[in-house]
Amino acid sequence: MKNKIRLLFAILLILFPFKSLALIEVDITRGNLSPLPLAVSSLSSSENDKEALQKELDIKDIGLEISKIVENNLKKSGLFNPLSKDAFLQKPDIAHLKPRFEDWALIKAQALITGKVNFQDEKLRVEFRLWDVLAGKEMLALAFTTVPKNWRRVGHIISDKVYERLTGEKGYFDTRIIYVSEKGPKTQRIKKLAIMDQDGFNTKYLTLGNELVLTPRFNPTNQMVTYLSYFKNLPRVYLLDIETGMQEVVGDFPGMTFAPRFSPDGKKIIMSFAMDGNSDIYTMDLENRIVERITNHPSIDTSPSYSPDGKYIAFNSDRSGYQQIYVMKSDGTKVKRISFGKGLYGTPVWSPRGDLIAFTKLHKGKFYIGVMRTNGKGERLLTENYYQEAPSWSPNGRVLIFYRETKTDSKGEGFSAKLWSIDLTGYNERLVETETDASDPSWSSLLSN
Amino acid sequence: MMLIFVATLSLPLLIKKPIDLPPIISVELIQITDQTNIPFAPKAKKIIEKVKKKQEKLVSEQAPPKKVKKEKPDAVPLPEEKNEIVKKIKEKKQNPERIEDEVKQVSEFEKDEMFDPNSIAALIDKSKEEQATTTQKLDKVTQSQDSSMNLSGLTLSEEDALKAQIFGCWSIPLGLPYNENLLVRIKLKLKPDGSVIKTEILDHARMNKPGQGFYKVLAESALRAVQMCQPLRVPTTGYERWKDLQLNFDAREMLEG
Amino acid sequence: MKFSKNYKNIFLAMFLSFLLSACATQTSTKKIDSQIQGDVYTGTDTVEYLADGVPDRVFFATNESVLTTASRETLRKQAAWLRKNPDVTVVLEGHADERGTREYNLALGERRANAAKDYLLTYGISSSRASVISYGKERPVDSGSNPLAWSKNRRSVTVKAN
Repeated sequence: MKNKIRLLFAILLILFPFKSLALIEVDITRGNLSPLPLAVSSLSSSENDKEALQKELDIKDIGLEISKIVENNLKKSGLFNPLSKDAFLQKPDIAHLKPRFEDWALIKAQALITGKVNFQDEKLRVEFRLWDVLAGKEMLALAFTTVPKNWRRVGHIISDKVYERLTGEKGYFDTRIIYVSEKGPKTQRIKKLAIMDQDGFNTKYLTLGNELVLTPRFNPTNQMVTYLSYFKNLPRVYLLDIETGMQEVVGDFPGMTFAPRFSPDGKKIIMSFAMDGNSDIYTMDLENRIVERITNHPSIDTSPSYSPDGKYIAFNSDRSGYQQIYVMKSDGTKVKRISFGKGLYGTPVWSPRGDLIAFTKLHKGKFYIGVMRTNGKGERLLTENYYQEAPSWSPNGRVLIFYRETKTDSKGEGFSAKLWSIDLTGYNERLVETETDASDPSWSSLLSN
Repeated sequence: MMLIFVATLSLPLLIKKPIDLPPIISVELIQITDQTNIPFAPKAKKIIEKVKKKQEKLVSEQAPPKKVKKEKPDAVPLPEEKNEIVKKIKEKKQNPERIEDEVKQVSEFEKDEMFDPNSIAALIDKSKEEQATTTQKLDKVTQSQDSSMNLSGLTLSEEDALKAQIFGCWSIPLGLPYNENLLVRIKLKLKPDGSVIKTEILDHARMNKPGQGFYKVLAESALRAVQMCQPLRVPTTGYERWKDLQLNFDAREMLEG
Repeated sequence: MKFSKNYKNIFLAMFLSFLLSACATQTSTKKIDSQIQGDVYTGTDTVEYLADGVPDRVFFATNESVLTTASRETLRKQAAWLRKNPDVTVVLEGHADERGTREYNLALGERRANAAKDYLLTYGISSSRASVISYGKERPVDSGSNPLAWSKNRRSVTVKAN
């Protein structure tokens, strides 16, 4: 018996955890959620190159201008805090060769971007480096060449690379936004298709404003755009080539087609077609022109959006009596309702990451932009407004761009429509500047890949 | 009867991590004796420093068994220490792999302090060291009686001070996915003044896993926090307790809120 | 006696003035209320006429494309006029108010215009004479941001095409 007790004792002692004398562990569960302070040094360039580029592009200091683009992009993302150049101690050319990390740490920069620009053989050659100031080492170094007129894209590409290195996600800065530019009285708005760089520069108008145009969307793989036009008073879905300006109607439908989008491979258009008052979802293959009917229901089926793998379609239907969001397989089978909250749901748009669906919700007279998981769970409302709708995802699935309209006063004045963006976390809601009033924004994929 | 016995033995199991235990009186008292009760304190200190230096190179140290037998705990009146020393004897018997180190150590000791009764002081500190180092081997069986004597935790105030400091240094990357595991564990080796000698990210493999790119970013932010916060706000004494420290950075709370 | 009579008069005057003012406000609110019934605009502010006594439009409740009794009456008048003028072709323009998403509103406008057209067809008008177009929320007739303005915009308008 005694032996048994001793044995048991020994076993118990063996099983005892060592926790009481383990390595000290301290839990750090708080920090500050402020944007990461970093320093963006001007890119250095030789005096000769500066002069040559001034002649070519009419820009005084291209290195400085490119750094401003990077600063602006990083700041607007809400994740970084670019520090003022006034405090910089090292000159751009030296900093790029060998930064004195103490100098940069002194101004509280945790990361540093340096670079240089050469103008040779009619080409811009750009080199940049990202440094970890506190660890005192280089994190990223890249070089690339491009034509001078793409100089703004240089800034966007650098921003994307830095963003990716510091957040682990792809960036969204080398992209464009297409939207509808609006002018005039509310009862007779003049609308044109417009396209601009995501930071608001290089705005171009693609149509003249003679006919109503709505809901333009990018082809994810090339320079084509699809949209709704009331050309000759016949509302139909069209294709527009941004490079050539050529427009062509999609298919030969006997009634209104609208709400168009491209499939993820860019080969099909998915849209609504209204016949005898009923709207159903159809696709058309752009190569062989074959039209396929996807929904067949006496309710309104519209706003279709493919999942990034092309296997599913999210869409808006009032088959339950009111506007709700549904998901079905891309052949139209297995239709499942996924929105169940109070209110009306519309404009579903599948995230490029495949994990979320963004939507517009109307409840008790207020409009919301929100996201939900693809099975409808985890609904999160990001922002509330008198009127807002039609979110579109940035290509990295992090930011949503949408539009808002304001009330008119008793005189019928004060109406405006503007583009806004918000981060997936609900933070960083900001106005997206456009030359005119704007609506129906759509975000392109990354131009460089 | 057996059941009660087993139950009482398992009670310490139910007590949580050392961090949560209240300050152990024994620790503070040892510090006091360091300074006042031992007549030849200065000499002991020198030895302690030397021993600490050795500590940085060797994984673990133990006084040779011979030494232990010479000890007489009369200079130090505390009963807990008696337990420690008794324990030490047990320990040494159970740790044959440390013989190499022991041998090294023996030579050092024999050089410096032959039959010095004041070596008690050195031994007291050494005993602390040993406990700290032995605990790193998780499969060892010892110190069951000791679970109540937590010599290797930080006091609540010490922990709060360190936490507050690091909270201020940690810039949590804002772009992190809010529904993933956001825990980064970093092991630190510290100097007595709180500056960092070495850092090691546990879960290192996760840094390069596809789809976990944010983990690398999170880990880097934690490393930056440690760099920025140097010298860390460490306790003024008891270096042996905290010279190896693990910081568990968890961004979940901040991002979910 | 005279004294109390004066008081009585004053009192009466005050009472009557109160009554009148109350009536006044009642009529003004009544005026707005009477223009919307069951969320459908019943006023005539924006109504135009295809011919004497033939209103050109019908109105709808929010999110609905159901024809009210008044709407059906209007459409019967339109059908009658169309029978009398067999060479006329029309376009039915469907509209929605701004309190909804753009694409759904395009579909809703189409549904409304079609509902009106279908009713005309039941009164012997051939389908080739009436085409349909939806403008969704793009062409409001009243740019106000209030329920009355919105109710005026929820409409299907019959427009002469030739």
